[in-house]
Amino acid sequence: MTNKKIFSRHRSFERNMGAGYLFLAPALIFYSLFFVYPVLFSFTVSTKRWNMLIPLSRARNVGFSEYAYLLKDEMFLGVFKNTLLYAIITVSFTIIIALVLAVLINNAKFSVLWRFIYFAPVVTPQVAIGTIWGYLYRPSNGLLNSILGLFGFKPVYWLTDPNIALFSIMATAVWAGTGGSMLIITAGLKNIPQDYYDAARIDGAGPFKQFLHITVPLLSPTLLFLTATGFIGAWQVFDLPFTMGRNAPAKSVMTVSWYVYETAFQSLRMGRASAGAFLLFCVIFAFTLFILWIFKRGGIKGYE
Amino acid sequence: MRKSSIIFFVAILSLLSVAGLAKSKLIFAVHWSDYQVEGVKDENGNVKVKGLRQYVEEYQKLNPDIEIEIQSVPFDEYLKRILISHTSGVIADIYVLYSLWGVQLVDSGILDQVPKDIIEKIKSDFVRAAIDGATIDKAVWGVPVEVDNYALVYNKKLLQEAGFNQPPKTWEELVQMAPKLTKRNPDGTIAQYGFAFLSGWDSAVVHPYLALLYSNGGRFFTDDFTECLLTSKEAVEALEAQLKLFKNGATDPAASVWNFPAGKIAMMIMAPWYETSLKLGLKDQYEQTVGVAPIPYLKKPATTGYTWFIAVDSASKNKKAAWDFIRWMTLQNAGGFTRMGELMAKNIGAIPPNKMDIGFFKTELDDLYTSVFVKELDNTYQEPNVAQGQEIKTILMREIIEAWNGRKTAEKALSDAKTKIDKILAEFYK
Repeated sequence: MTNKKIFSRHRSFERNMGAGYLFLAPALIFYSLFFVYPVLFSFTVSTKRWNMLIPLSRARNVGFSEYAYLLKDEMFLGVFKNTLLYAIITVSFTIIIALVLAVLINNAKFSVLWRFIYFAPVVTPQVAIGTIWGYLYRPSNGLLNSILGLFGFKPVYWLTDPNIALFSIMATAVWAGTGGSMLIITAGLKNIPQDYYDAARIDGAGPFKQFLHITVPLLSPTLLFLTATGFIGAWQVFDLPFTMGRNAPAKSVMTVSWYVYETAFQSLRMGRASAGAFLLFCVIFAFTLFILWIFKRGGIKGYE
Repeated sequence: MRKSSIIFFVAILSLLSVAGLAKSKLIFAVHWSDYQVEGVKDENGNVKVKGLRQYVEEYQKLNPDIEIEIQSVPFDEYLKRILISHTSGVIADIYVLYSLWGVQLVDSGILDQVPKDIIEKIKSDFVRAAIDGATIDKAVWGVPVEVDNYALVYNKKLLQEAGFNQPPKTWEELVQMAPKLTKRNPDGTIAQYGFAFLSGWDSAVVHPYLALLYSNGGRFFTDDFTECLLTSKEAVEALEAQLKLFKNGATDPAASVWNFPAGKIAMMIMAPWYETSLKLGLKDQYEQTVGVAPIPYLKKPATTGYTWFIAVDSASKNKKAAWDFIRWMTLQNAGGFTRMGELMAKNIGAIPPNKMDIGFFKTELDDLYTSVFVKELDNTYQEPNVAQGQEIKTILMREIIEAWNGRKTAEKALSDAKTKIDKILAEFYK
């Protein structure tokens, strides 16, 4: 190959590189504007003592003191623990219940109707869900306590007892989130060839063995997706605890997003709030990587 | 394009810009609801009770060179609106501000200094509690427009049913009466509360406690704000006085003052602005049901209060026009009253802080509900204007709720609150 040809190919490659970047530009600009810039800005703010009332340039630089404060703050550590608990319990229960329901509904009569019924809470605003469940949870004349009363149980202070309130909110979150997960799992179920089940049946496998050895393994990519996105959403939860948990001692129900919101807009400590948000971002990032690693070890790929 | 067309367009644009420049535009941010801004109207849309809009229109007619845009933001979003407007550079010229936010706004240079003539008028014409509310670091930063304090609101029918013809005068009497006014469901939950607090709202938790603290001769802070005094004997006793109601079963943390119109609350501590809701909720039963009395005291009669004041943004391009409007609205005699006083007394249902208005609107303020609040103005201790006031209030609320739930003793809750609050004070006052 002559030097001229090599040079010509090199130039052509360079031209194509330019075109490639040009095609990528809209996505890169969008990503930079709505992700990279806010993250960098949030990090900058987290090193300042800023109340949003003065220009950021006039705000005092405090280095990493807000991070140090948060990592020692009893309240922040408490809300962090609440959020972790909330994420683990709601995501696990939502996926398990959704999986069971999806399998049951998949071949049931009127499956479309069942899917619609279970999906309805997903399209209902979280604030409305919080309000409606607030009525169900009322200690006096609430539906749940009335049912408990029929069986001779003592009334429960669902949303004010600090030992119970967070779990009551989690139950609502599981109820509200199951339909969405169920629909995605149903789509996954449709992709499993019927031949596998037929073969298993011929080999003498019962419904439970079929579920355990065919359905679950072949749904793993779907379950990985639901687990990863579920945890990302659960770590950021705000509306349900905020609408339902305001009458309970805050330390027992508050989540990190609620803490960040309150620190920013009530206490006017934008630096501390940004530090909290940045820590939350790091935790979600690390947690998601951890989940992907666990699934990868189990032989599930697709999100590397 | 023809030359004549170009000249025509240039002329039109010039006229429009001159017309635009001729008017000074003021943006007026308030936290009031629709009927408070637009006025109370009948079914044909005729204004029965004037709202802010009608006063603004009147002012604009008198001053054709001024245009006022009202921006109404719900209370929960109001502080956020101020913060975001300053970050984005689209500020309002005039604000109605909650006194607790004042320190931070003043320290950040957000508020314009009040003209001297207005300060003199405020000092001579307004009630003490309201002046205290608008005063930060010994300077007045706005004209008080609304003063709110607290009183005991009780259900006359429920008290009579239990054999009480009078409301309690002392806290001890209240503690004795409340269990007798409490009824329980068969499952043990409270069906009728002898006394109700409200857990989910900082003012509803902190203000009644502060009233008891002041009544017990205690103080929240030292005068120079270098120390929180919540571990004093008086402060601990005040919270223990509240806890007696939880211990004797007259209340629990699930109580809600909003159930009063449903006849499920015998006594509660409430502010003047709840009158309209009570009237709407109780309808023709209102007068037979609602009774108001001073908060039962520990050592001396006392209540707590807070103020809303009207102020001008220091970054406003039309400060003079803004203060002129405020003078006209809040200070100028409109026939024995001020326009803001009329708006407060007739529409918003709050106590106007101008003494002239209190004297003038006797019909509105001397009724069975508001009259007690007006009389109690003399015993009202203004919520302290301290730096990070909202953050401090939230901390105290959280600790009080811990005590209500039996998770901490009064002493421990207040000691924890003091530790956290002192750290904040050290940031700003040492």
